[in-house]
Amino acid sequence: MNYYEHTLVARQDTSPSQIKQMEDKYKKIIENNDGSVIKYESWGLMNLSYLIKKNKKGNYLHFKIEGNGNTIKELEKNEKIDKNLLRYLTVKVKKFDLDTNYFKKTEESTKNK
Amino acid sequence: MKKRNLKKKNTQNNFSKLSVFQNQKYKFKKKCPLSGKGAPIIDYKNIKLLKKYISENGKILPSRITSVSQKRQRDLSIFIKRARNLALI
Repeated sequence: MNYYEHTLVARQDTSPSQIKQMEDKYKKIIENNDGSVIKYESWGLMNLSYLIKKNKKGNYLHFKIEGNGNTIKELEKNEKIDKNLLRYLTVKVKKFDLDTNYFKKTEESTKNK
Repeated sequence: MKKRNLKKKNTQNNFSKLSVFQNQKYKFKKKCPLSGKGAPIIDYKNIKLLKKYISENGKILPSRITSVSQKRQRDLSIFIKRARNLALI
């Protein structure tokens, strides 16, 4: 079994309920293809540094997955078709860094402003 | 003479960043800031760290200015490109 970090960028006009649906949908796909989600992080709505398909902002979803190559293959196959997504990125890692969440701090700082 | 002038201009472009990494007094610090004990872990999610190593236009800074070691520079460029793909930088 390998460890993967998987990040999705969804459109800016997706509603929170839609994001919840998306999360469940991809979790199901992972679990059906003998993988498991170890951690799920929602980074929320963030500014994109450049326009992607006329979107200024994007919703970021982050998964930490344990699985094999087929799991990722099936995941990316489904993501290619999904119209709500702008980008996705899969990175194979040796060890998970479960403690630090780089994007939680930024959320808090924006709230204070 | 012309060639010399060109070289000077290039160094001036990154001059603002140079002062971040190297003191004026000791012009060439040889130690790599990313390797050794207590060094920060490079990651494509750690935007704050990565932003230090790119210019204002979003280009990757050369290691001769930042004095990052060869190995770390290779890692760094991979992580910066990942972050670019996700539009984080």
